[in-house]
Amino acid sequence: MALEIKNISRTFEGSKKETLRDISLTIEKGEFVCIVGPSGCGKSTLLNLIAGLDTPTGGEICLDGRKISGPGADRVVMFQEHALFPWLNVLENVKFGMKMMKLSEKEQNSRAEHYLKLVKLWEFKNYRIHEISGGMRQRTALARALCLDGPVLLMDEPFSALDKQTTNKLRADLERIWEETGKTIVFVTHSVEEAVFLANRIVVLSDNPGCIKDVFQVDLPRPRHNDAVEFLEVRHKILTCVEREVEKFAKEEYDH
Amino acid sequence: MQKKSMTIKRLCSSLLFLALLVLVWQAVYSLGTGPLGWWKPYALPSPLGVVRSLGKMAGNGTLLQASACSLRRVLIGFAISLVIGTALGLLVSSSGYFNRNLKPLLNGIQSLPSVCWVPFAILWFGLGEASILFVIVIGSTFSVSLAIENAIRTVPPIYVKAAQTMGAGKLSLYGRVIWPAALPGVLAGLKQSWSFAWRALMSGEVMSAYVGLGYTLMSGRDMADINQVTAVMLVIILVGVLVDKLVFSNLEKHALKKRGLSS
Ligand SMILES: Nc1ncnc2c1ncn2[C@@H]1O[C@H](COP(=O)(O)OP(=O)(O)O)[C@@H](O)[C@H]1O
Ligand SMILES: [Mg+2]
Repeated sequence: MALEIKNISRTFEGSKKETLRDISLTIEKGEFVCIVGPSGCGKSTLLNLIAGLDTPTGGEICLDGRKISGPGADRVVMFQEHALFPWLNVLENVKFGMKMMKLSEKEQNSRAEHYLKLVKLWEFKNYRIHEISGGMRQRTALARALCLDGPVLLMDEPFSALDKQTTNKLRADLERIWEETGKTIVFVTHSVEEAVFLANRIVVLSDNPGCIKDVFQVDLPRPRHNDAVEFLEVRHKILTCVEREVEKFAKEEYDH
Repeated sequence: MQKKSMTIKRLCSSLLFLALLVLVWQAVYSLGTGPLGWWKPYALPSPLGVVRSLGKMAGNGTLLQASACSLRRVLIGFAISLVIGTALGLLVSSSGYFNRNLKPLLNGIQSLPSVCWVPFAILWFGLGEASILFVIVIGSTFSVSLAIENAIRTVPPIYVKAAQTMGAGKLSLYGRVIWPAALPGVLAGLKQSWSFAWRALMSGEVMSAYVGLGYTLMSGRDMADINQVTAVMLVIILVGVLVDKLVFSNLEKHALKKRGLSS
């Protein structure tokens, strides 16, 4: 038992339509679940609900049987924009969450060193956020999230603002880290390829209102190669599912 | 190298402009009080007279004493404003109720020129230090609170969300995220509050001081010494601008630079 999403719906004030309707999904401990769907279908809304940054208008979400009622360090979020604090340097940013947890200074330093080395940023620990590249910023944000060592990691298109090379590298890093730590990861993306590369399970959301259209189990061996025949087959299958949703969305995918 | 020569060029042209202005002023004075007879000589300051007046006041220590006294007053008053204004600003930005109901009021009072408070000040505190402080405090407090509110309102929500998902409580959120994120905006806003405080000081001093720049200005009027009045006005401008540039602009620049927001 891990993360249970039970009949969630969300309607924003002032809008007549439901943004999310009757979403139910159980995510097991240690699973890597990707949520894909056309932009505007409510992926971020769903993730924010799991994070506790927003409250559903119907249904409830439970983590290990306890109802989620607000944000907390057991469900750290990594946003599309890095959300690092520009008044702190890399190391101070990474230590921020641990400060909130009131870990000892020694523990903070040792964890920060460990994770900054893991994302290969230890040499840049004294740099300010504006002095490092976009990829390094996302890696800092990743280290900051991992340091808290929570059971669940929520990621909202964390690599979508980066160039392809950096993205590929970070995906591989994330996969390795997931395998090493056994965390539960809920990863939102609009890229089917990214989802097939990373996920155990892919949840396709449909648009208007956002509800679960289909769920795919992905059992390809790791590490996955995006030019392997099996990979392409799975990708095609999911793209076809999403394609019916929005044609333009699929076209963007094939253009890559 | 290029940049340096550019600044020197700019500086020269600015100085030239000022020199030209003084020249025009002298010409207007000479013609207006002389052949044209538009003004009585004592009704118009002359560049030379102002410089002489400045020299005299600098020589006998009036200027230094008056400036120091005024600065001391405004610092005390502004410090009080910072405390009360920050508290008000936090109140207005942390509660929707006060934001809806109190903020328009603050905006309204803020638009009142500080000299309007002088009657109250004299009625409540008599003629003296306390009434001047009162005018400074009331003249700048609301500006401080609005500066704080505005700066906090424009903090990117993503910082707050990120901190919350890392388990930050209300106190840490304010102390470690909202405050540092708002700081550049606060400093920019405080610049304006400072100018309000400085103006309020003059309103107060003109009415009820026995020492200070505002008092020196009025004593110039009482002695019908228009050159002294003008000289003091120049000093008032100079001190106001110097504090703005040396204190607030520097602090703001430092805060922005630290955050990579300016070169
Ligand atoms: N705070 C909000 N208030 C009103 N509508 C919102 C809010 N957040 C999201 N929405 C609406 O919900 C829909 C889904 O948004 P979002 O979850 O950001 O989509 P996605 O992440 O899949 O691109 C959009 O149509 C958006 O307009
Ligand atoms: Mg989104």
